[in-house]
Amino acid sequence: MIELQNIKKVFNAGTVNENIAIQGIDLKIEKGDFITVIGSNGAGKSTMLSIVAGFQTPDGGRVLFGDKDITKVPEYKRAEYIGVVFQDPLSGTAKSLSIEENMAIAAKRGTKRWFRRGVNSKNRKYFAERLKELGLGLEERLKANAGLLSGGQRQSLTLLMAAMANPEMLLLDEHTAALDPKTAELVMNLTDKLIKDMGLTAMMVTHNMKQALDFGNRIIMMHEGQIILDIKGEEKQGLTIPDLLGMFEKVRGVGITDDKLLLSK
Amino acid sequence: MGAIEHGLVFSLMALGVFLTLRALDFPDISVDGSLPLGAAVSALLITKGYDQFLSVAAAALAGFGAGAITALLNTKLKILNLLAGILTMIGLYSINLRVMGMPNIPLLGYDTVFTPLESMGIPPQVASIGLFATFTVLVCVFLVWFFHTDIGLALRATGDNLKMVKAQGVNTDRMIFFGVALSNAFVAMSGALVAQSLGFADVNMGIGTVVAGLASVIVGEAVLSSSTVLKAVVGVVVGSMIYRLAVAYALSVELGPIKLSPGDLNLITAIIVVIALTFPGVRKKLGGLRS
Repeated sequence: MIELQNIKKVFNAGTVNENIAIQGIDLKIEKGDFITVIGSNGAGKSTMLSIVAGFQTPDGGRVLFGDKDITKVPEYKRAEYIGVVFQDPLSGTAKSLSIEENMAIAAKRGTKRWFRRGVNSKNRKYFAERLKELGLGLEERLKANAGLLSGGQRQSLTLLMAAMANPEMLLLDEHTAALDPKTAELVMNLTDKLIKDMGLTAMMVTHNMKQALDFGNRIIMMHEGQIILDIKGEEKQGLTIPDLLGMFEKVRGVGITDDKLLLSK
Repeated sequence: MGAIEHGLVFSLMALGVFLTLRALDFPDISVDGSLPLGAAVSALLITKGYDQFLSVAAAALAGFGAGAITALLNTKLKILNLLAGILTMIGLYSINLRVMGMPNIPLLGYDTVFTPLESMGIPPQVASIGLFATFTVLVCVFLVWFFHTDIGLALRATGDNLKMVKAQGVNTDRMIFFGVALSNAFVAMSGALVAQSLGFADVNMGIGTVVAGLASVIVGEAVLSSSTVLKAVVGVVVGSMIYRLAVAYALSVELGPIKLSPGDLNLITAIIVVIALTFPGVRKKLGGLRS
């Protein structure tokens, strides 16, 4: 559904701080995929997600949505088919707007905004129904400002908002990393439920290997701006952390000997 | 009485400043130029024999255009918002001189928006307060309505959380365009009414507009909590009146041999803003719509 073709991204090109974040990534995201992305700091995980979301433009390669080239389409236009949840729980909602007003903004994603009343009795009822699914009692606090909510509540609301207006794809950028373990678990289970219930295609960047293994049908490991592992389907089921670490060592090891072999020939 | 009248006169302007500064988080200095622009356009049209109410509408339109330029400088040419406002402001100074053809247009003897009321036998000051109150109430009602529409919600969110609104598919450039243009339309409208109330338009009448507007917004927030849009909007009007009362009082104070004069107005405004900004209880409330 979304495809990355030979994506390259370099930060501070031509300076002493030059940093090659992504070097030639090809990735085909199939409809219904729930991909978890792991890798060490600076592996390029978040940069790849930003390129899919449109927050950043690649320096080379193409981003395809279906057969449409969306490489240069700005983020706010991609929001029509892509929902995003960021790591910072405060960054997904507007604190001075009420819960229902925040949801009204999300509900209008992908449509023109003009002078119709943002929150009316009809969509308020819908918002309350959706909030009930969270099981946090937020449906009783529709008129409370989002700024009054806890981090976990705000992240849950953000998640719901990202999944509103029927996006084709949900992008999660370490969205539980800033929460305490219990809340993180709650938000993660909620994420999984939403993705399954709504049949969403999703990509989740995480630092947590266990999370990456427990959820999704496909796991991608990144290293130094490249995808070094892409395991899906049955092969992913039953995969453990030691397996993953072993594979990582192996891939890196083989990679190096391969280089040596190539050079010696 | 005079201070309340003054407060009402300038509350339209303060509401414009509130729209950009608080809702959009865009400190727009071009209002220092769009206030006299409104005055100039209105005065020119009146002296050319056009209808006085039409001249107010034309002034608002001109202000909308001025704001649009600031917004485009910021969003399309990526000029820092403060600088974009300053550029428009100084550019407008020349434009205002061109519009008027001279630094000052007297309106004495011409029909103004107050003439119909005065000819009904209503005392000038009552007529002026009544008319300004009407305009202010209309703009308040409009703003409260506007801030609850789809576009209004998106605009408020733009000033609150840029990352979030973009992720929700909002074209923030469009919001900045709408917000800043609308704000300057209110300020220019205020300028037109001020000119008709004073009986002249002057190229220098806009100096300190943005700071006075800022003072009104902050004082309003200190007095009235800005937890809802309605409270915030009413707070700006109340703040504008309190600010003018404070200025009137300050001007009446005698510091030993020094008697304060209208020339000291800008210094007094600056001091009021500094006090309002540093006063702890007030500081907590800063952020207005956003906190």
